[in-house]
Amino acid sequence: MMRRRLLTVSLGLSLALTACTQSGTPPLKDPGKVVPVKHFAVPGRLYAVKARRLYQFSGSAVNAVPGAISVKDPAVTLDGARLAYAQIQGQASTIVVGQSNGQGAERITSASAPEGALWAFAPAFSTDGRHLAYLTDRGKLNSNPQNLQPNDLGVWQYDIVSHQSERLVTPTSYTGGDSDPVFRPAATDQLVYTTYLYDGYPLQPVARLTWMSTQTGRTSFLSPSLARNLEPSFSPDGKFLAFIRGGPESDDLLVMPLAASFPAEPHPYPTEGATLVQAGMVSQPVWAPDGNSLAFLMLVKGSFDLYVLPISTIGGVRATGPAVAITQGSFFDADSRLAWSP
Amino acid sequence: MRGGQASGAEPLLRRGMNQRGARATPVGRGARRARWLMLFALLLVLALIGGVVLYVSPFLALMEPHQAVARGVPTPVATPPPLQSNQPINILLLGSDNDQKFQPDALLSQTMIVASVDPGRHQVTLLSLPRDLWVPIPGHGEAKIDLAYKLGGAALARATVEQRFKIPIHYYAWVGLGGLVKVIDRVGGVDVDVLHPVLDDNYPNDFNGSGYGTERVYLAAGPQHLDGRHALQYVRSRHGDLLSDFGRSVRQQQVLVALQQRTAGTNLIGLLPEVARDLNGHLKTDIDLVRLTQLAIFARGLHAGDIHQAYITQYVHDATSPDGQAILIADWPAVNAYLRQVFNGNVLP
Repeated sequence: MMRRRLLTVSLGLSLALTACTQSGTPPLKDPGKVVPVKHFAVPGRLYAVKARRLYQFSGSAVNAVPGAISVKDPAVTLDGARLAYAQIQGQASTIVVGQSNGQGAERITSASAPEGALWAFAPAFSTDGRHLAYLTDRGKLNSNPQNLQPNDLGVWQYDIVSHQSERLVTPTSYTGGDSDPVFRPAATDQLVYTTYLYDGYPLQPVARLTWMSTQTGRTSFLSPSLARNLEPSFSPDGKFLAFIRGGPESDDLLVMPLAASFPAEPHPYPTEGATLVQAGMVSQPVWAPDGNSLAFLMLVKGSFDLYVLPISTIGGVRATGPAVAITQGSFFDADSRLAWSP
Repeated sequence: MRGGQASGAEPLLRRGMNQRGARATPVGRGARRARWLMLFALLLVLALIGGVVLYVSPFLALMEPHQAVARGVPTPVATPPPLQSNQPINILLLGSDNDQKFQPDALLSQTMIVASVDPGRHQVTLLSLPRDLWVPIPGHGEAKIDLAYKLGGAALARATVEQRFKIPIHYYAWVGLGGLVKVIDRVGGVDVDVLHPVLDDNYPNDFNGSGYGTERVYLAAGPQHLDGRHALQYVRSRHGDLLSDFGRSVRQQQVLVALQQRTAGTNLIGLLPEVARDLNGHLKTDIDLVRLTQLAIFARGLHAGDIHQAYITQYVHDATSPDGQAILIADWPAVNAYLRQVFNGNVLP
C-alpha cells in the first residue's frame, strides 16, 4: 500500500514537472492592432478586416478606412473607385456602398422588413459595377420559438441604377443557405457561389461551388458532392477560380481553370485544380488586380494573418515563390472576405 | 548567570549574551547560522505548501468523489486503470444548459460524449451519444438518455451508459454553458472551420435577464477564430440545422478538438489553476489531480489526426415514445458491434 502511494506521489511529481515545460509553439495573444511585417509592399489597395474594422494596405502603408466600423466582407469595383461592405448593427446588418476612401457611404439594403430583422452580407460588384450580388435572409417567414421557420441566406442582386433588388437563388432550407457570391469578370451573366447542403448516408455537411447563369437561372456544380469547396474568387481575366478545399486536417488553397462559356450539360466535377497552399487553415483567397498573385489569410500561431503568394497561370497553375507574410500576429477576421483593387 | 558552566546551559547563556550585544563566539555564530538556515528551510517548506495549496485549491472545488448511487441503481462497474498503465481511460463528458431558468440540481444532460483516451495507441476517440436516444435508465424504466443525469446525477448517467452501451466509464466531467465560454476565452478562443453558415433567429439568450429571451445568431461558414460566446453559439444552435442534434454533435466534437489544438502549446501549470477558477460552479468531475495532470500532458502531445470522431447516427431512427415524445430508437446489436470496433474490444461483457 505504502509502495503504491509512493509510486503515485512520484509519478504525480514527475507529471507536474513535465507539465511545467511547454510543448510546441504557444499561441500568440491578440495585440488589438494590425501588426505589419517590417518591410512589405502591396501593389494596389488590399482590404482586410480586423475586429470588424476595415483596413487598407497600399504600398508600404496600412490605414483604417474612415467610417468603416462594425463591418465585414469588403468588395471593390474593378477600377477600385467604389467600395462596398456589410455593416453590422446589433442583430441585423446592411450593405453599404461608397467611395474607396470611405466617403459618401450609403446604405442600400434595409436592416428590417415585415418578416423581421434582416442579415445582409458578402456584397460583390459585377464587372461593369452596375450590379451587386449579396446574401440576405429577406423573404423569410416570421419565426418565433413556438413556430420555428428557416432563415437561410439566399443570393440577391441589387441594381445600382434602378435601386431594385431581386432574388437570384433560393436556398435549401435548414442548410444555412448559400455564401460567397462572385460575378465572373469579363462576363455579363455568370455568377459563382458556394452552396451548402447535406449529402451521403448518414447525412453530412457538404459545400459545393455552383456556377450560375443569371440570365437563365440555370446552375451547375463545379465541385463534387461529399466534399467541402468554398470561398471562390475569380482571377481578373475570369479564366481561373481560386477556392478553399476543406478537409479533416487542413483547409487548402486551390486554383482551377474554368471553361469560357456556361456548360450545356451539368458538369459535376472540378476540372484539373492545382493545390497551391496546404498549411493548416487557409481562407478568403483574393486575386491581385494583375493576376500574378493571390492574397489569403493563414492561421499561424493562433492568429489569422495576411499572406501573398506569387503565382503563374501560364502553362498551368503554379506558385512562383513562397507565400510572403504581410502581417504577423494581427488576428484578422477570417470570417470576412478580402478585397484587392488597382 | 556568569557561573553558568553546566553543559546544556551554555548555549542559552551565550544566546543571552549576544542578545545583549556581547561579542559572539565562533560557536554562537554557527548556532545562529544554523537557526537561520532552519528558519529559511521552514519558510521554504511553508511557501511550498502554501503554493501547492494555492495551486490545488481551485481544483479541489471542482472535484467530487465517485458519487453514491441511489438505492436500487447498479453502481458503475468500471474502476480506473492504474496511473502507470497504458490501458484506455473512458471519461463521460456531460454538458447542460445551467442558466437561471433551470434548477441547479435537476439538469438534463444536453451533451453526452464519451472521450476514450488510449495512451498505448496514442489516440483519443470521441463518441457522441444522442440526447433523444430511448434507453433503459436503471431504476427508472425507459426514457431519453438525457434524463439520467437529472434523475440520478453523474452516477446514474454513468450506469446508464455502461449498462446499455457496454462502455466502461472510469470518470465523468460535467460542464455548464458558462464554463465552456470561460475556458475558451481563457485560452484565447478556438480556431474552427465552421461547416455551414449558422443562422438562428431564435437562439436562447442565456446570459442576459431571465434566460428565457432569444437573440439572432449568424456565423459565416469557413475557417475562423471563435471566442467563447460564438463557440457556444456554434455548438449549441440547432434551429437552423437540418441535422438538428446530430449536426450539433458534430460541431461539439469539432470545438473540443479545436480546444485541444489551441492548448497544445501552452504552459499547463500556469494555465490550469486559472481555468479551474473559471470553472468554479460550472464543472464537476471525479478525476483526481494527478490523473488530470497526466491527461493534460497526454492531450498536449496529440495532433489533430490522433483524435477520432465517432457517431451512432447510422444505427438509430426517429420514433415516438409511448408518451408522445420525439425520440430515437437504436439498433442495439449494430450499435454494440460498432462500439466494440471503435473501442478496440475494450467493452464490458
